[in-house]
Order: sequence, then structure tokens, then C-alpha cells
Amino acid sequence: MHYRTVLVALLVSRIASADPSSTDASQETKPEDSEHASTPKRKRDATLGKIFHGPFQSSRLYTMPTADVVGAYVLSISGDGSLLQETGVLTSAGVVAVGFGDIGQLEYRHTSAITVTGVNAPLPSAGVQIKLPIPEYPNVPVFGVSFRLGVPRTEQLAGTAIEERVSDLFLVGRWRFEAARWLTLHGGARISQARIALSGANTFDTQRYLVLPTGAYELQMNPTAKIVGEIALAPRFAWMPETGVDPTIGYGLLGRFGMRWNLLPSVILDGSIGYQLDVATNAPAEGPGAIVQWDIRLGAEVFVPWGALACRAVGAFCE
Amino acid sequence: MKPIPIIFAAGAALVAAANAHAQPLPDVPIPPDGSGSGSAAPPPPQQPPDNRAIEPSSPPETPTDPYAPLPPPKPRKPLPPLFMPEVLTTPTGFLLPAAVLYSKTSIDTGGGVTSDTRVGLGDVAEFGVATTDAVRERTDENDVTVDRIQPYVTASFRLGVAENRLFLYQPGMTLGFRKSFERHHDNFATRIAELTLVASWHLGQRAAVHVGGAFWDASLEGDLDPNDNMTVRREVTFHGFNDAKQQIRPFGGIEVTPIDRSQILVDVGWAPEFCYHCMTDVDKIVLKPVLSWGVRYEVAQWMRLESGVRVPDIGEANLLDAQIFGQVTFTSWALRRAVDSLK
Repeated sequence: MHYRTVLVALLVSRIASADPSSTDASQETKPEDSEHASTPKRKRDATLGKIFHGPFQSSRLYTMPTADVVGAYVLSISGDGSLLQETGVLTSAGVVAVGFGDIGQLEYRHTSAITVTGVNAPLPSAGVQIKLPIPEYPNVPVFGVSFRLGVPRTEQLAGTAIEERVSDLFLVGRWRFEAARWLTLHGGARISQARIALSGANTFDTQRYLVLPTGAYELQMNPTAKIVGEIALAPRFAWMPETGVDPTIGYGLLGRFGMRWNLLPSVILDGSIGYQLDVATNAPAEGPGAIVQWDIRLGAEVFVPWGALACRAVGAFCE
Repeated sequence: MKPIPIIFAAGAALVAAANAHAQPLPDVPIPPDGSGSGSAAPPPPQQPPDNRAIEPSSPPETPTDPYAPLPPPKPRKPLPPLFMPEVLTTPTGFLLPAAVLYSKTSIDTGGGVTSDTRVGLGDVAEFGVATTDAVRERTDENDVTVDRIQPYVTASFRLGVAENRLFLYQPGMTLGFRKSFERHHDNFATRIAELTLVASWHLGQRAAVHVGGAFWDASLEGDLDPNDNMTVRREVTFHGFNDAKQQIRPFGGIEVTPIDRSQILVDVGWAPEFCYHCMTDVDKIVLKPVLSWGVRYEVAQWMRLESGVRVPDIGEANLLDAQIFGQVTFTSWALRRAVDSLK
């Protein structure tokens, strides 16, 4: 029977040698070059459609950073807002980030924190985010570091000026699984230095270091949309005027649950339900049943591939 | 000839053929003598290129008609089915498809005018802003003229999984959150919020069942104690009663399609009622069952008419408060098509 095996082997070798698609297929399966994993190609003859087709990489979830960064030569502008969080007030937050070399980004953002008025108010900050340049393997997490330098935020309450400031160092990881490609886990810690200072009718100054865990998950529901859940502890400032009690810095639990939708390759829409729970002892806990305190936030992230646009327009920054 | 030599001969021929195929093509034509040396005879003279061979790439000799009719447009993709996100007053487990716009306007015999505008997000969520007249108020326990607070503006966000997405016969499931903006009325400030989880099944082609649970919360702020002769504003909240059982309510509905494009709808839901000067706090915020039934007619793929009866407090079987309503619903795929064209 072995001669039949020989014949079959010969026929297979002949077919393989005559099939030109086999070599093309091997070229197609070549892994994508890392430079263009998160940024569009910068070519003079690229059309606007190709430029804005990406690929683009987001570097954040709702509030926490991820282990990824915005691609090189790409600017990310994102923001979110809610009309339900504070009565009659639009609360909003935003981030502008520009990527460098596919491993770093500079950013200016508003950081979430619970203020003395009980609102998850944004605190402005500037920062840098770095993706650790470790080769990515299946089932092996990747890590990133994000530092956000707090800018003081001042508010007035009962004749007292309250200055709050938070600086954060995030150590985060992202974990994907070959067996469950629809699942992505994020986790890490937020090391915060929070400071509150009173001036005017009352004077006081204190600061505190906090190590706060943060985590999130993404469930890919279809090629363009995923469900995202995020839960994190955030610094909380508490002070009641005319009580004689000094301000305190604690922490509160912030959670968001919603979706992220790639409306276009360069436009992402976010929608989420947010809630906050008091886990510190400096304020009365209303409990998880207080859903009247929850809010709905809508946000968007737009990627501007400025490098590819400049290349197309004036020939600068081309590959 | 015996079979083995035949096989060997065939095998040798195949080996030769395979090896020959694997060789690169020679640079010079193989002479017809079959020697295969490639150097026995001089190469034949080069023939001039045949102009006809490049004729297709050259410009046509006859000018084309610049006003020729354009090619017919590509046929549009068939639209996926669109299931309504509400029965009549209660949410369903179905979501609007991505980038589909939804607008419903309703009027009733009680003078209520409401609207509901939504947009589908990524086939997994939807966001909407609406006005409702379902929230009611009364002064105290003896007040039998329960009024509606309207307009009561709410925003909603629903997230879910489509039917049969995860496995066969999996119901469509949505987790919804609806919250109102603060409403100032008669020197009182009120808010409501509702968290719902609902599952919907299609039973064949002509029926659907919706079952869910709602977790309610509300707040009421104002001078809630008029008998103390002091104007002191305070706030009571539904969750502040520390009785989660009072916040949870089941709801549901059914849809039957006896005739193509016509449906019979029945649902039971809940709505909050504020009693400003009731003696006890727990009576200041209560939930009342609402029964609705009616019909829906699909005039066109983008327009539906609904009409029916709504009984605001079926618990008291008060049919005098029943309202007959009519509403029109528009749906639009224009945004979806625009997004698809940009992709």
C-alpha cells in the first residue's frame, strides 16, 4: 500500500508547487508591523478616507487609563458630560492626548474626584502615560504607567476658599485571553496624593497619600461595540462649614457601566451609568439603593491623525 | 505488463513533472528540437510588439457620451427587523439597532402630552430623552383629585443583549436606567429614578412576552410638615425608608400580532405618586400600578400608530381616571445609512 502513499505525496507536492496563492497566503499572515498597529500610514498619496480609517487606539476607559497609548502622530480629543449628576449643572470632563512613538503620550485632562460639595467634579491635570515596551504575547498581560500632575481647583463655600489638588500615579495592566478573545481585563492601582487647603473665614491645610485599587472589563459584543464596566476608588474631600470639624480626605467608590461604540474608526461614542458609594466614614452612606443619585454620562473620543494629514497636505512627517 | 512496473513508471513520470514544474522558467526559449540545451540554435528574432495587445489601455477612438445615464445605484441592504423598545408604557428587552432614531409623541384625554426620543448605540445600547406624565401628586390623604406633574423630563440609558445572541432561545435582555431632572412644582422639588431589568421572548412570529423587574427611587423636598407652623424644608427619599421591598416591583406585557402589521398590546407597570402633606414619610412617596392596553398599526416601515387605554391606578380600580391615548412613532434609518456610507 505504500506506493499509493508515495503517489499521493507526489500529487500534493505538485499541487503545492503549482499554487501561487500559497505564497500570498503566507505573506498575508505575516504579523502587522508594530508601527502601524495604532496609527494610520503616513503617505503622500493617501486619501482622507484611508487616513481616517485608522487604526486608532484609545488609551482610556471611562476614567482609568489603560496600558495602551494613543498612536504616534495621532491626537486624541475626548470628553463626556452629564446633566443629571448635579441639579441644573452640566458636569463634564475631557482629555486631550497626543501620542509619541507608540509607547508614550502627553495629555491634559480633568480627573474625577468627589469634592466637598459631594459632586464627582473634574480636577484639571496634566500628565504622561507610557506603555512598557515589552513584546506582547497571547495570554500575557501588558503594563503601563500613567502620571497625572494635579492642578489646583478652587471653590467657595460659606466664605471660605477651598483649594483641592490631586496628583496620581497609575500602575495598570491589560490582559487578553486567546481562549476568550471577547474579554479584556484591566486592573491596577492608583497612588494619589490629595491635598485640601482652606483660606478666608477658615484656615486649614492637610494632605494624604492613598493607594486605591482600580479595575475594569470589556466584553466585545460585536465588531464595533463592547460593554465596559469600571470600578475604582477615588479620593474624596469632605468638609462641613460651621461644624468645627476639620476637613478630611477619604475615598469613595466610583463605578461606571455602559458601552463603547466605534461609530467610525476615528470616532468612539461612550454611554454609561455611573454610581458612587461612600466607603469612608466622613459622610453618611446612602447605600446602593440610592439610585436617584446615579447619573448617565455620554462621551466621545475623536482621533485626529495629524501626522498623516500633514504628510498629505504639505509632505511633512511622511514615512 | 505487471501493475508494479506501471506504478513505478507513473511515479517516475510524476516526479519528473513535479521537478520540472519546480524549476524556474528558462530565460531563453526552448528550441523546438527538444534538446533542451538552449544554446544549440540562435534565438529567433524579436517580433515587434503587437499594438493590439495594449489597445484596451489606450483611449477609445470614439468619444463617450458625457450625459450617459449613470449606472443604477447599488441595491440597499435589507434592513434588520426593528422591535419596539416599549410595549405601551413599560420597557421591553429589545433595543433599537445601531444609529436608528426613534421618536414617539403621545396625547391623551387627560390633557397629557408626552414625547420620547431615542437613538440606538452600537446594537448594544440606546440613549433617550423623554417627557412623561405618569408621575402624579396629591396634597394629603384626603385629596382625591390626584394630578399629574407634567412635563417631567427624564433621560434614559439602556444596555442589553439581543435575542438569540448568546445562545438559541436566549431572550432579549436589557438593563435600563431612567432618571428625571429635578422638577419644581408647587414649591416642591421632586426627582425619580428607575432601574429595570427586562427579558423578552418572541413566541413564534406573532407574539412576544416581556417580563421584568424595576427598582424605584425618588426624592421629595419642600415644606413637608405644614402642621408644625414652621417653614422648614426637608427632603425625604424612597431609599431613605430602608425598605428595599417597597422599591422593587415586577412589570410585564404581551404583544400579539393577529394581523400583519397590527398588534394588540397589554402591559402593567408602575409609576410614583407624591403626597406632599401625608402624615407619615412612607406615605409621601408610593408606587401605583398602571395598566395599559391598546393596538399598534404599522402604517409604514418608518411610522406606527398606537391607541389605547391607560388606567393610572389599577389598584383602586378607578376607571374614572382612565385615559384614552393616541400616539405616533417614527423610526429612521437615515443616520445608520449615513454612518455606513462613511465607513
